[in-house]
Amino acid sequence: MEKSLIITQNNLEIFSSQSKWLYPLFEFEDFIKTKQLETHDLFLTDKIAGKAAAYLIVRLGFKSVHIQLISDGAIDVFNRFGVKVTYDQLVPKIQCKTEDIVKGDEPVDVVWQMLRRRAGRVAGLIVDIRDLVVDVDKKLVLNNLKLRVEKGEHVFIKGSNGAGKTTLLKTILGLEKMTSGSIMIGDYQVGSREWERNRQIVGYVHQEMVKNSFPISAAEVVSIGFSAQKLSKAEKAHRLEISMRRTGCLHLANRSFHELSGGEKQRLNIARCLCQQAKVLLFDEPTSFLDGSAKEELFDLLNQIWANEAPTAIIVSHDEQWIERFNWPVCELKEGKIC
Amino acid sequence: MLELFSYPLILQGFIVLMASGLSFPIAGVYLLRMNLLPLRFMLMHGALLGGAIALAFQLDPFLTTMLINLVLVWFMMQASRSLKADAGNISIFIMVAAIGLAFTFISVFNVQAKDTLSLLWGSIFTISPLQTVGFVFVALFVVLFQLLKRNQLKAVFFDSSVAYSSGINESGIHYFVILLTALIVAVAMKLIGALLIDAVIILPALISSLHTKSMKSMIVWACIWGGVFSFSGFFVAYWLKIPTSSAIALIATLIFLIIFIQKRLKK
Repeated sequence: MEKSLIITQNNLEIFSSQSKWLYPLFEFEDFIKTKQLETHDLFLTDKIAGKAAAYLIVRLGFKSVHIQLISDGAIDVFNRFGVKVTYDQLVPKIQCKTEDIVKGDEPVDVVWQMLRRRAGRVAGLIVDIRDLVVDVDKKLVLNNLKLRVEKGEHVFIKGSNGAGKTTLLKTILGLEKMTSGSIMIGDYQVGSREWERNRQIVGYVHQEMVKNSFPISAAEVVSIGFSAQKLSKAEKAHRLEISMRRTGCLHLANRSFHELSGGEKQRLNIARCLCQQAKVLLFDEPTSFLDGSAKEELFDLLNQIWANEAPTAIIVSHDEQWIERFNWPVCELKEGKIC
Repeated sequence: MLELFSYPLILQGFIVLMASGLSFPIAGVYLLRMNLLPLRFMLMHGALLGGAIALAFQLDPFLTTMLINLVLVWFMMQASRSLKADAGNISIFIMVAAIGLAFTFISVFNVQAKDTLSLLWGSIFTISPLQTVGFVFVALFVVLFQLLKRNQLKAVFFDSSVAYSSGINESGIHYFVILLTALIVAVAMKLIGALLIDAVIILPALISSLHTKSMKSMIVWACIWGGVFSFSGFFVAYWLKIPTSSAIALIATLIFLIIFIQKRLKK
């Protein structure tokens, strides 16, 4: 088969792929991560590039490329980001849906995340809530609620106190009983036997800080993530280290959880969800106990996680300023329904 | 002093004491964490009820007491679950009901009250060989349970909703821990008596919680302290000619005070 993508360094081929569409570029993304390569001195030769491919090439950090068949839109993207491009054939537009979806003036990361979702390269699962009714102590809290969050997407839910935000998250977790309706997480229906066996696909960071002062170390809290999973000792140690490193809390491993600041505790809770390898993350008022700088750190950390693991996320918060910074979709929970 | 062990009853008592001292503090950690301290008062009253029933119907007091206590704990868990109430609070109601029933049996069947009350005083030297095997079995079981379920226990003790979302059967673990703890408290009553149970079960866990930073070290240190108290208590009791349970209680209290004061001074 003909190679669709070739990457060279000093005229020596270091990577090639025969895959189609944008997959060769995603494969190369994995390749440079594994090899820890810098891309500024590499040369890329691609068979076809539209706007979407151009965005990915820009994000990968290439400075010079050769494209056999290129669209006008792709040239605009390369020019906008200062990438030197040569080509064999220029067409107004290539025949691909992404050529219509990508406008050409969006930030690189936004396009990259959208393309990853389209390529199915996200860890997240679809959350599909249909006609959900939940009564708590005979009081109607959620009333025919409908919500669908696609793979790797994230949504904020705001609402007044007592609107049922926490009840919604607990119902998704399976902690609160549904009166009627259904919740699907990927292929699992919440409450089913299959779901019971795979509950760890949903990670939960709750609103209340743990109130007991029982001795527990930071590493022990993170390791709760895999406590229901049968793993080898080496795999456990690996997962623990990676998740603590990813969230910047490896140095806290032997500290007592109760001695840590609110921001450090939230980092550990997120590390716990990474350790669990949760595909869907539920956050209940994650900034409740955080000061300004800790909120800023949490903002950066969540963005990093979405840029890499890309789990699906539902975040309940009434911190309007913090929500606005993300520029993510926001829904309001009112009278038991999503508005 | 070692010639003491040439007497089978003393050797047997020492083995049971060490096995309990090294393992029962694990249940103390569970009791502290799950806020089940009132449970042991309920079990003491359950022991009185069991004793009254056993003496009234000429049954084995130890087994009857154990059985009654397990029934009371099961009832407490059911009530706590269906009423969504704290198990500790429910135990207070059961305690009152148990003592009411105990005195009813004492009165109706003309049981000698002092015989029933004597069940609250244990002795390591009055244990039968069969009971010794039972104690060692319970001691091994609790250690094995802690070793095998340590990760799930850690999660449940940290936060039940977090444990649930991690995929753990948290309610199963929760109720099993309560039952196991009740069994150990009931067994320990026979060993050193109900009134000094805290010295073997609670104090080692409490002392350990004062100076440890992780759950693993808390469990390990609770067992170490329990072993130290039992070992030293046995010989101090012989040396001072006082009951073993009293010696254990005094040593445990002394160590607790030293660590507590040391911690206060550090602050």
